[in-house]
Amino acid sequence: MTWIDFPLYSSLIVILWIVGLVFLAVSYKKQAVFKISTALFVVGWAVLILFVVKLWLELDRPPMRTLGETRLWYASFLPLIGFVTYIRWKYKWFLAYSIAMASMFLAINYLNPETYSKTLMPALQSPWFIPHVLVYLFSYAVLAASSIVAIKGWYDSYKGNLNLETLKLADNLVYIGFAFLTLGLLFGALWAKEAWGHYWTWDPKEIWAFLTWMGYLIYIHYRYFHSQKTTQALTILALAFVVLLVCWFGVNYLPVANTSVHTYTQY
Amino acid sequence: MNDNNFKIQRNLWESPWGYIESFFIGFGLIVTGFFLEVFIASETAFTLKYPYNVIFLAGYVLLLFMANKWFSTSQLIRWLTKVPASISSIVLVTLLVMVMGIIPQVPSNNNIINNLGLNHITTHWAFILIIFQFLTCLGLISIKRILQFKWDNFGFILNHVGLFLALIAGILGTGDLQRLSLNVYENKPNWIATDAERNEVELPFAIYLKDFIIEEYNPKLALVDNSTGSIALNDGKNLYLVEKGETYYFNNFEVKIEDFLPNAIRFGMRYESVNEIGSPPAAYITVKNTENDSIQSAWISSGSFRYPYESLKISEAYSMVMTIPEVKKFSSDIDILTQEGERISTVLEVNKAFKYNGWKIYQLSYDDKMGKWSDLSVLELVKDPWLPIIYIGIFMMIAGAIYMFWTGNKITKNS
Repeated sequence: MTWIDFPLYSSLIVILWIVGLVFLAVSYKKQAVFKISTALFVVGWAVLILFVVKLWLELDRPPMRTLGETRLWYASFLPLIGFVTYIRWKYKWFLAYSIAMASMFLAINYLNPETYSKTLMPALQSPWFIPHVLVYLFSYAVLAASSIVAIKGWYDSYKGNLNLETLKLADNLVYIGFAFLTLGLLFGALWAKEAWGHYWTWDPKEIWAFLTWMGYLIYIHYRYFHSQKTTQALTILALAFVVLLVCWFGVNYLPVANTSVHTYTQY
Repeated sequence: MNDNNFKIQRNLWESPWGYIESFFIGFGLIVTGFFLEVFIASETAFTLKYPYNVIFLAGYVLLLFMANKWFSTSQLIRWLTKVPASISSIVLVTLLVMVMGIIPQVPSNNNIINNLGLNHITTHWAFILIIFQFLTCLGLISIKRILQFKWDNFGFILNHVGLFLALIAGILGTGDLQRLSLNVYENKPNWIATDAERNEVELPFAIYLKDFIIEEYNPKLALVDNSTGSIALNDGKNLYLVEKGETYYFNNFEVKIEDFLPNAIRFGMRYESVNEIGSPPAAYITVKNTENDSIQSAWISSGSFRYPYESLKISEAYSMVMTIPEVKKFSSDIDILTQEGERISTVLEVNKAFKYNGWKIYQLSYDDKMGKWSDLSVLELVKDPWLPIIYIGIFMMIAGAIYMFWTGNKITKNS
C-alpha cells in the first residue's frame, strides 16, 4: 500500500503550499513574489498527482471508493478549480482559499488514517459523487463570499458611501457561484437518474437546493434590469444566502428531514 | 426596460404593467388554484398521457410562436416578455416550493393541510398555474432571443431554452413515466411488476435471477455505555473496522483483535467457521485496561437474524460490541428472457443500471432482514420516453453554466 508513504508526501505538499500561501499574502504588497507562490502551488500539486497516480497503479482500481480516497480527490481538484478561476478572474483570495481547503483535506487524511477504509454505502459509490460535492463546495464558498460583500455593501450604503465596485464584485461572485450551483444541481440530477432511477424526486434537500438556485436567479434578474436599485438587490442577496444556509445545515432540522436521502449524519 | 418607467406616476393597470400588476396576476393565479383545489377536488392527479401530452406540447409551442409573431404588441404578450412578469413568477414558484420544503409531502392528519392540498404541491392547481405562467414567460423570451440570434445571446439561449426544455419535458413526461418494482427470487423467473399504487403490471419480458450477491464490509468494533446502551466514543463516528491483528485504543482500553471469522457459530467455548445460512461474524479479542493492567479475552459476535449477538463487558461502565456488518455492494446476476426466446445475461448493481428495449433496470433493494442470505432481489424498471429531451435541456444548461462562469455578467462582458 502506498498509503504508507502518505505522511511523507502530504507533509511535503502541505509545506510547499503553506510557504506558497505566505508568499501569496506578501504579494498583496509586492506583486513580484506572486510568481513564487504560484510555482510552489504547482510543484505541490504535481507531487500530489504523482501520489494519486502511484496509488491508483498500486490499488489497480480508481482510488474513489473510500472517504479517505475521496478527500484525496478533493485535494487534487480544488487547486485546479482555484487556478482556472484565478486565470479568468484574478481573485487571489480564491486561489488561497482553494489551496487552504486542499491542505485541510490532506491534513484530515493524515490525522485520521483509519478513515481510509471507512465504509461508503452503495448508492454513494459513484463517479458522480466527487464532481457533485466538489462543485457544491465551491459554489457555497463563492456565494458565501458574495454575502460578505453584500454585508459590506449594506453597511456602506447605510453610511451613505456605497461604491458601485462593491456591487460589481458581488455580481461577479454570484455569477461564478451560480454557475457552480447550476452544475452541482444538474450533476445531482444526472447521478440520481443512475442511482435511484429518476432525475428529480423532490427530496427535501433537492427542494432546498432548487430554492437556493431560484433565490440567486431572482438576484441575477433583478440586478440585470435594475442596476441602480442597490439596496433591494443587496437584500435579495442576503435572503438568498439564508435559503442557502437552510439547504446546507437547516434541512436536517425541518419536519421534512426524515424523508431525505441526503441526511447521512443519522447513520 | 429601465428604472425610469417606475418613477413616472401612473395608475394601476395602465400600460406597461409593472411589478404590482404582475404580483396581482400571480396571486390571482394562486388563489384560483386554491379554489380549484378546494372545490373541484379530484382524487387522482391531473396528468396528460401520450399522445395528448405531445399534442399539448406542439400546440403550446406553436401558440408561443404565434404570440411572438402576431401578438407581440398586445398588452398581455408584452407583459409576459418583460422582467416584472418573470421575476414575479420566479418569486411565486419559489414561495410554493418553499411550502413543499417545509410541510412533508405525505398524507397528513392536519385538516388545513389536507383541505388546501399543501401536502401535494407538485400536483396542486396553484402550482400548475404558476409554473404555466413561468414557462410561458420563459418560452416567449427564448423564442424572441432565438429569432433575433446574436452570438452575444448564446449563453442566454443555452440557459433559458435548456431550462424550458428540461421543465416542460419533465412536467409533460410524468404521464408517460413508468416506474415499476419487480421482486425476483433466486432461480425463479418473474414478469409481474407492481407500480407505485401497487397495481400489477405485466412486463413484455421476464427476469430470471441466477444469483444475488452481497459483499459486506467487515463489522465495526464499538465501545458501548452499559447504562444507556449507546455507542460511547465520538458520537459513534469513530468506529473501527474489525481486522485480524489490528490493535485499537478506546479511552484507557487497548483492544487487540486476535482472530476474525466472517461466518461463524459458537461451539462450546469458541467460535468456528461454518458455511451456514445466518452464521454471523465473530472475533476473538483481548482487552487490556492500561490503568490497572488487567487483561481479559473473549469471543464477541454481531449476531444475525438467526443467532444472538455477544458482547464483552470490560468494566462497570463499558462493553465492547461488534456492529452488524454494513453492505459494501449488492448485485443481481440476471437473465432477461424475451418473448422471442432470447436470453440476455447481465449483472445489475447500485449505480450500474442496464438498458433494455426502452427500459432501464435498476438494482433497488433486497430482503434486508436476511441480509447477505437474501434470495430476494428487488429491481426497479423505469421507462421514460421523454428523457432525451430532458437530457438535451440539462446539457444545454451545463454548457450555459460554463459559459456563465467564463463570461460573467454584462458589466464584465462589456468591459
